[in-house]
Amino acid sequence: MKYPILTLSAALMASPLVAADPPAQVFQINCSACHAVDHMVVGPSLVEIAGIYRDNPDGFVKWCVKPEHKREGVIEMPSMAHLGEPVLRELHGFILKAAAGKTELKKGNGDPYSVPAAMVRRPQVQRIFLPDASPAAIAVALPGDLSYCFDAAECRLRYVWKGGFVDGAPYWKSNGSSLAKLQGEVVYREEHFPLTWPLAGEELPPRFLGYHVDKDGLPTFRYRRGGMVWTETIRPLAGGKGIAREFTTDGAKDMTAVASGGATVVSSTGSPGIGADRSKSFTLDFSWK
Amino acid sequence: MIRYLSYFLLLGSAAAAPFAIEPMPNPPGVDPQIGGVDALPDGKVAAAFHRGEVMVFDPATRSWSKFAEGLQEPLGLLAESPSSFLIMQRAELTRVKDVDGDGRADEYETLFDDFGMTGNYHEFAFGPAKGPDGSLYVALNIASNGAGVRPEIRGTWSDIGELDFKQMIHDGSWGKKSGKAGRMYSRVPWRGWIMKLSPDGKTAEPFACGFRSPDGIGFDAQGNLLATDNQGDWRGTSPLYVVKKGGFYGHPASLVWRDGWDKGDPRMLPEPELDAMRVKESARFPQGELANSPAQPVVFPDSWGPFAGQVLIGEMNQARMVRYLPDDVAGFRQGTLIPMFDGTPLGIGNHRLAFGKDGALWVGKTHLSWAGAEGLVKIVPSGLDKVFTVTAVSLAKTGDQSVLRISLSQPVTGGSDAVKVDRFSYHYHQDYGSPKIDEASVAIGTPELAADGRELVIPLQPAKGAIHRVDLGKLRAAGDVALEGKVLYYQASELP
Repeated sequence: MKYPILTLSAALMASPLVAADPPAQVFQINCSACHAVDHMVVGPSLVEIAGIYRDNPDGFVKWCVKPEHKREGVIEMPSMAHLGEPVLRELHGFILKAAAGKTELKKGNGDPYSVPAAMVRRPQVQRIFLPDASPAAIAVALPGDLSYCFDAAECRLRYVWKGGFVDGAPYWKSNGSSLAKLQGEVVYREEHFPLTWPLAGEELPPRFLGYHVDKDGLPTFRYRRGGMVWTETIRPLAGGKGIAREFTTDGAKDMTAVASGGATVVSSTGSPGIGADRSKSFTLDFSWK
Repeated sequence: MIRYLSYFLLLGSAAAAPFAIEPMPNPPGVDPQIGGVDALPDGKVAAAFHRGEVMVFDPATRSWSKFAEGLQEPLGLLAESPSSFLIMQRAELTRVKDVDGDGRADEYETLFDDFGMTGNYHEFAFGPAKGPDGSLYVALNIASNGAGVRPEIRGTWSDIGELDFKQMIHDGSWGKKSGKAGRMYSRVPWRGWIMKLSPDGKTAEPFACGFRSPDGIGFDAQGNLLATDNQGDWRGTSPLYVVKKGGFYGHPASLVWRDGWDKGDPRMLPEPELDAMRVKESARFPQGELANSPAQPVVFPDSWGPFAGQVLIGEMNQARMVRYLPDDVAGFRQGTLIPMFDGTPLGIGNHRLAFGKDGALWVGKTHLSWAGAEGLVKIVPSGLDKVFTVTAVSLAKTGDQSVLRISLSQPVTGGSDAVKVDRFSYHYHQDYGSPKIDEASVAIGTPELAADGRELVIPLQPAKGAIHRVDLGKLRAAGDVALEGKVLYYQASELP
């Protein structure tokens, strides 16, 4: 008895005493958006509900008045206290009747639209909720076995992983409450934008401008940062032990390249310094063990 | 085949207009939930899908070709040309464009992303709707306490609320604290707002607030911005709004982002105070009866006979759509909702709508794990000059007598003496949904039929704020033809 009877009565006090509508209509109005007879929609099927509450109408009413968060990856039901106890009891009977003789539809194995890991087209871009990034994340599969997360809110590379691409089914199968899973191990995390200059961080926040994809599907990201418009194209280094990042800017700025997390960076200028005379176009190679 | 089908439907039902409703094949390997649809000048149809593909359907070959991919939950698509589309996805409004002319998109240009995201699943983004002056409008959902927020968010965090940022982060104990988050919440900018963008998308202004889940924005034939919203907290039943700049449309969460807001947590304000602040509904969809989750509004083209110029609204949860007939009373645009496509094989999940140049209505279906359906459906009307339906409803007053004037597309030949009217309303309150309240039958005077039989005048005493349900099920036109749309739901937010 998690919720004292007092709470239940108080919640029901203001409710109508008799059902104005037949239970089937009450169900259609209040329940049908989320509950179907024989399969899970947003909430469990009537078959499953009937299984739980067949001999427990009190428990059913209590749950409807004060639902809780019970299932992982499933949202919490809103309270149905406004229906009142008599209507909820009728609804209980209606659900048992509707579920009688029915069985839960068998779920298919996995996601009918997923592509086997070995057949993932590379390169490709997929915007989806990813771990360890803002909600404006973009997943990019590179040729080979590297993929990376570009964060459109921060306008920077967040991490690189090795292996497969993403499993988006947890996100796509529902209404977007779950993150996609990385199909591999993160091999490089970048803690900050990989170039710095005296005023870096004191300027306007960066702005994401979009991306271009080439014939193969490889993206070039565009953003405004530090008063300049940048483009950044990331490709795998030979051997898969790193990435080559081609930058362009429309400005002239003295900058320094900085790697994160034990990676080494080699600049096309021959040193970590990118002089104002070279800032229009340069490449940084990041590699790790 | 279509001709035969129409003929069959005409014979089969004297009540419904003859609509040939045909599901199109789905693109292979694509999750066929459709978030955006538009018809192209060449007769093709563009659709945006749940997992981010933009596909173009050729009705001539009944085949799909891929235009773009990789978007996140696109929930609106507007064709600028056959090679350039504006698409609202979770994080931004994007122009997706084929620059090199190979038929595949190569540019994904961010037009507008200056709004917050907490990562909460319910922060869907809708639009764009294009206004008469070319301005673009997008609508931003508020978050649901079905989940918390993510550790990393985009945009400025609002400290207004019982739980602070750390407490709002989703974890295993979320269910224990979710009640304190507010049923729906707006903790980052412009959640619950409709934003107006300049035609080039370069400048944006917050336009109107108070929205919960406005999954349908669009313009009527007179250039008014319409928005539907979904039953829930502060939505006793789903509303339709005519949206004006600066208006507050009822759901308080988004008020925290109003310029100069100094009244603290808006959901803690007394309901009467919020009720006085809000713009009233232009129409309401009785939950479970007319519609549960209304979607996109579009305007019928001239080729749709008696429906031309009216507004058609999608519906997710019931096997129909809904028409809206406006009525300007005391300077306020309210009006009538009428069921449409009842008794046809349309089915549920009617989410995104677009009319082709040939008049065909294209319907994109989705569910996103709620009630709904999938795929693209084509609706072709025929015999529209014979359709018997209501074309206008106005509430008027002469002297002390109020009347409802109902215009019809064909002369009435019988049943005007069997008209019934009742009324009801719903609470405006924080609770989720509302029972019907103030239910009463409405005494009416003798309905009068105009000399040409095309106008029915019903004397009655309207109740301010109520939905007036007018049952015209017995009305007949020549040949014992019943109405397409037998019940009117007139929202009397204002009285003449």
